[in-house]
Amino acid sequence: MTHSLHREGSLESLGKDFVLFVYPAKRVTWDGSAAKVRRLTEQIYRSGPANLILTTLRRNMYSGITPAEVLESITEDGTRVFCVFNSREKLKDVLLRIKEANEGISIVVSGLIDAVREVSREIGIHPHTINLSLGILGRTDLLPPPDIRELTTMCGHGLVSPYLVEDIIRRIKKGMIDLWDGSLVLARPCACGIYNPFRSAELLEEKVPLYTVDRW
Amino acid sequence: MLIREELCVGCGRCRPFCPTAAIRFNGQRSSIDQRLCYECGACLRCAECPVDAIVESPGALESPRALRGYFSDPVSEHVTTGIAGRGTEESKSNDVTLRVGPGDVGVAIEIGRPTLGMSLPDIQKITRALARSGVHKFEKNNPIYSLLADPQTGDLKPELLGERVLSAIIEVQVKRDQLRSVLRTLKEIAREVDSVFCVDCCTMLDSGLAIPGEVLESIESEGFIWRPNAKINMGFGRAPGKVKESS
Repeated sequence: MTHSLHREGSLESLGKDFVLFVYPAKRVTWDGSAAKVRRLTEQIYRSGPANLILTTLRRNMYSGITPAEVLESITEDGTRVFCVFNSREKLKDVLLRIKEANEGISIVVSGLIDAVREVSREIGIHPHTINLSLGILGRTDLLPPPDIRELTTMCGHGLVSPYLVEDIIRRIKKGMIDLWDGSLVLARPCACGIYNPFRSAELLEEKVPLYTVDRW
Repeated sequence: MLIREELCVGCGRCRPFCPTAAIRFNGQRSSIDQRLCYECGACLRCAECPVDAIVESPGALESPRALRGYFSDPVSEHVTTGIAGRGTEESKSNDVTLRVGPGDVGVAIEIGRPTLGMSLPDIQKITRALARSGVHKFEKNNPIYSLLADPQTGDLKPELLGERVLSAIIEVQVKRDQLRSVLRTLKEIAREVDSVFCVDCCTMLDSGLAIPGEVLESIESEGFIWRPNAKINMGFGRAPGKVKESS
């Protein structure tokens, strides 16, 4: 599952997009992890995530579910948390909380390497392993255009359809939906809750003037 | 997925949700092209059909079509891994499992990503190319392994070759000095597949989030460029029985 690794966009935009996973390991840190994951999720909420899903519920932050319901759902060992933060400061805040909580559960961050390196140095932690994205090979001529991919790659499982992005752009231009609500529609198919609606709204604001309504 | 034509009111709300444009509109009703549908479930979960006309297709859970859902719907848990996803824990828990140890490199080939998906015959082209280049150690805990008829040749099970999936991940592990050869193989086979794949390279870090020079040299020498964003295991994991050292 490397679905957070290939997010596309400018450095400025990616600088507002940090995915974080809480990941109990099968047969190693799995047993007894439920209580630890619950405590870590409480800390994550305190740092203000932009989106969040747990494997227990698979409903994102904007589906009407409350933090209390989310926390109550963590009853089974092995529950995983997928979330995203929209600033370096929030990433630093949550990592500091996780460091202090010292639960021993694996934590993964997807984001700009330089920013994560700086934050790690500032709070005195030592990242262990890196997974680098070496880009896309093959029939890249079949891909949607890069500006659409900046939105669709926020769901690495490919569930945010490029046609949905185009439809949302069309609806925004026609005044049928605004940037934020359009972003929440785009966030819906992402079953892992790592579609960042704040970044999405900024990207849509940029892209909307570039398209014409009658194109589709 | 299937749209029950007797219920569909032709509102078209579901169509943009399909990542593979499998939902067709005939002027009055929508229908799903079963040949194209990946069984990812995006339309069923998200499109909010006003008349609940979208249902799972009856054959979606039968072999071999069932593998479409396993590999395309992130919510479905794969029977061979017990993980809801296309791959394994790979780097995510490497701080406690050390699956990718010092001197190793994990290479993941993310089939069909982004967005396009891939047919099984195209996946077989990649597994065969890797096998021909001497890489036979496909990750056994990855769902792709269950599709292999023979890891020595990279052949997939013939009965599956009519299928296609939205995403799948081929995971192999090699020593750092073998990385160049694997990357070269992937670059060559990329010319023969009718879709796309992403390439990932996983390695343990040196102190201070420094990426080992040997790995970066191999990547550069094969003409690859790594993106400025990456997935980083932050080193917070602690195997039972180990006392965390103060940072």
